[in-house]
Amino acid sequence: MAATIEDPPVFEPPAVPRPELPDASSLQDRMPHWLRWPRSVAGATFVIGVIFLLTSHRPLWHTDVWGHLSYGRWIVEHGALPQTEPFMPLAEGVRFVDTAWLSQVLGYLGYRAFGPSALQFLYAAGVALAAGCLMWAVRRRTGSVIWGTVAVLAFLVVDWQQLVVARPQIGALACFTALFAIVVAKRPSRADWFVVPALFAVWANLHGSFPVGLGLLAACCAGRAFDVFRRTRRPGAMLHDRKARRLFVLLELAAVAALVNPYGLGLYVEVFAFSNSPNLASLLDWEPLTLRMHQGRIAAAMALALVFLYRMTPRRIAAAEVLLLVGLGAAALWASRFLAWWAPVAAYYATIHAAACWRHARSVAAARDADLSNDDELPDEAASSPRTGKWAVVTLGLAWICFGYSSFGLTVLHGDTLPLAMRVGARTPLAAVDYLLANRDDIPAGMVFNTYEWGDYLLWAGNGEIPVFVASHAHLLPTEIWQQYLAVSNRGAAWEEILARHGVDSVLIDRHRQAALAASLEEHEDWRLSYSDGVASLFVRREPIKTILIE
Amino acid sequence: MKFPPMSARRFPLLKFLSLQAFVLAAFAGAWLCLSDGSSQALATAVTGRSQAIVVPVARELPLVVEPLYDDPELVGDEELALVLKRLRPIFPRREMKPNHIEHALRIWGVDATFADPAALSGAELRDFLCDHATFLMAYRDEPVEPLLMERPRGIAVRWDRKPGGSVHHDHWLASLTEAGVRIDQPVFGPSRRDSDIGDVLQEALRDFRVDEAEVEWSAMAFGLWLPPVRDWRDRDGRTVSFDLIAQRLMRGHKRFGVCVGTHRVYSLMLLVRLDDAHGILTPAIRADALAHLAKVRDLLIESQYDEGYWHGNWSQGAAAKNAATDDEDYRRVIATGHHLEWLAIAPPELHPPRESLRRAARWLIDETLSVPEETLRERYTFYSHVGNALALWRGTHPATFWREWTATHGEP
Repeated sequence: MAATIEDPPVFEPPAVPRPELPDASSLQDRMPHWLRWPRSVAGATFVIGVIFLLTSHRPLWHTDVWGHLSYGRWIVEHGALPQTEPFMPLAEGVRFVDTAWLSQVLGYLGYRAFGPSALQFLYAAGVALAAGCLMWAVRRRTGSVIWGTVAVLAFLVVDWQQLVVARPQIGALACFTALFAIVVAKRPSRADWFVVPALFAVWANLHGSFPVGLGLLAACCAGRAFDVFRRTRRPGAMLHDRKARRLFVLLELAAVAALVNPYGLGLYVEVFAFSNSPNLASLLDWEPLTLRMHQGRIAAAMALALVFLYRMTPRRIAAAEVLLLVGLGAAALWASRFLAWWAPVAAYYATIHAAACWRHARSVAAARDADLSNDDELPDEAASSPRTGKWAVVTLGLAWICFGYSSFGLTVLHGDTLPLAMRVGARTPLAAVDYLLANRDDIPAGMVFNTYEWGDYLLWAGNGEIPVFVASHAHLLPTEIWQQYLAVSNRGAAWEEILARHGVDSVLIDRHRQAALAASLEEHEDWRLSYSDGVASLFVRREPIKTILIE
Repeated sequence: MKFPPMSARRFPLLKFLSLQAFVLAAFAGAWLCLSDGSSQALATAVTGRSQAIVVPVARELPLVVEPLYDDPELVGDEELALVLKRLRPIFPRREMKPNHIEHALRIWGVDATFADPAALSGAELRDFLCDHATFLMAYRDEPVEPLLMERPRGIAVRWDRKPGGSVHHDHWLASLTEAGVRIDQPVFGPSRRDSDIGDVLQEALRDFRVDEAEVEWSAMAFGLWLPPVRDWRDRDGRTVSFDLIAQRLMRGHKRFGVCVGTHRVYSLMLLVRLDDAHGILTPAIRADALAHLAKVRDLLIESQYDEGYWHGNWSQGAAAKNAATDDEDYRRVIATGHHLEWLAIAPPELHPPRESLRRAARWLIDETLSVPEETLRERYTFYSHVGNALALWRGTHPATFWREWTATHGEP
């Protein structure tokens, strides 16, 4: 007999679903969708952030900024806009339409709250915003941050001399590039109907250059209409084209929006009257652009590059881009200051045509290569750079780092209190003006003949109480006075008589740029050198006229 | 907020037309709200011509600043009569110099008449300046450019050193104004017969620039015609005020200005006197002006020569007497005569000691009575200030004194 012992049945608990362990190689992205950004955004942020960081540490230029601050201070203190020029005694009574009042007030309030780093911040933000808009426009067209970076670099190189000075025009340039990015977008947005007028309402109060924006819209509208006509040969088609009509309406809305300013239509009048001021002809900014200028040579190189690219490009060339490049280029030849507006346009079109040439060359090469014949689609950054929370974090981190290490960030976050001398350009006559102010009892109280570029700093540092001969708002000076300034500055034959006729008792000049005048003053028996450093010389009259006149 | 792409719908015509109406309305409203200054600038931009707003003139006759003193010790009646006799407007009828005529008219006035037929009456002096045909008659042998220049909106006066020109800017107008001409006095240009002094005044206002070389006579003319208007806008939109003009007159070293800087002082004093009656200056500028004039007084005290005269370098103060000067005599007449003129309308606190003034007057009288006739005619403009100053110090005007003196004494 055989006995079999059976194994007792094994109890098996009911199957419980086991939680799946996360794949350690791929973390789940819990960021909300709107906060998932592509790698390209991080790349663009890096480029723009570096530009912001570097420009934020640039010393403040020694000219306009101080004048704008002075006007801002005046407006805040008086709670009103000046009706006539408030600072230059020789321009008393001259009607003053302050086309940059909002920039001036913002600048002054920023300065009052945070010191000079606020100006550096506003300046850097303006440059970065302009660069960012250009980057955005180019990336949308080429799908590449790299090409966007190329455009931004080209813009900075061509426009650098226009960007050196921290002034309201920087804010206007940001408005211009934003408008340009909107206008050249392939797919317009409904938001444009609100954004464009709002942009102009702000621009018209920041700076008097808003007509350039109107010109941009007008050129795009005319260009589009011309393209339609060229294609259809029917004039009526121009009127029925939606894009042309859209640009026309945007132009109208922008023109109306620009009326939203304290002067209304008077601002338009002033902008056009300003350009007719004969005093501007002798200012470097308003001289014609020539090859003798550094920026002229760079602009010429860019123009040659554009010619080459337009010859090679496979892209269709729109009439608007020709109008813009030629129109703004001609304006820059007329007055070099218009280079500020030509540069971003030139950089944009040069880049998108360069990108097109590059793609065309790549596809031709690919077609020749049989192995790659099925791979003629060039990789798109958007496709190769999916949206993830990681890149959003990286982007925000980069932005924060760039802000934190900027001049303004260091001041706000770390309490960095650099002395003013570290934040301003070397040609700012800090020490000389300090000396002038500290020795008011010894320095004659009469008018101060000053280097044109320093008038603004004298106004600012002297709280508007130093009677300067000229300041940067040269267009407000009567022509006779401006001519007399030039005559003295260049040590013309009548320099001494002009100084005496105006009761000038002190002369504060750039000892290097006005060396001839400085030498004459040193030799003249009526004058003595009161102060001198590596930047400025201060001469005072031995027998002051002011005290002869009024004691 | 994300906006969808623009739809492909047709652009509605009604909406488009409504938008056009909105844009037009916005610009029309903005145009209506334009400030005066912007309107002026807009008109300038549109027409390509400088615009100036017409300044209202509220009077038919100009203001007169009366002298404040009658000091027979400074100049006696007989001496004054002798001086004025030498200053009667006796000029050759050919190629009369507007500058001489203006000075003569200024001191004698438009109503002056003389028994001597060689002397020009006030009306004849006025007509030479205000009527191109009369002017032409004087220059019929040697044609010159017209004195009166017709402009699109007014009539201007040629001022230059060419023959037949008025030498100083607005001197023509200031002289006629001081002579008491009416605002509606006709001014006949080469081809226009419908202008009057008011048109010349408005053109002068359009022409005026604060920083031009000479503002002395513009200041006088504006001061005697415009009050109670205190400020106005020039062709460039600049607000010009009597404050600004006063500052301009005080600007810079005192040696500058026509007639060794004395006209600036006279015009400034005139504005202060007009301010007394019409409040054309702000208190701060008035105080500056008085301080300036007080300083001039001090310089005069320091720079007066023992003989009584002042030199052309009076503005150097005490140093003037020690400074070598190559001044001719007539410069002494200029400085001394002009200074006595403004001091005659100045309050006593701005005077040097009366003895100083009497010495100055004594020197002037002797000089004027002894100067050869030819020299006096050649330098008539300078000596005319002497006659005017001495009459003012007797509390009268040359024409008034002459009329009364000749009525009682006959011509001296």
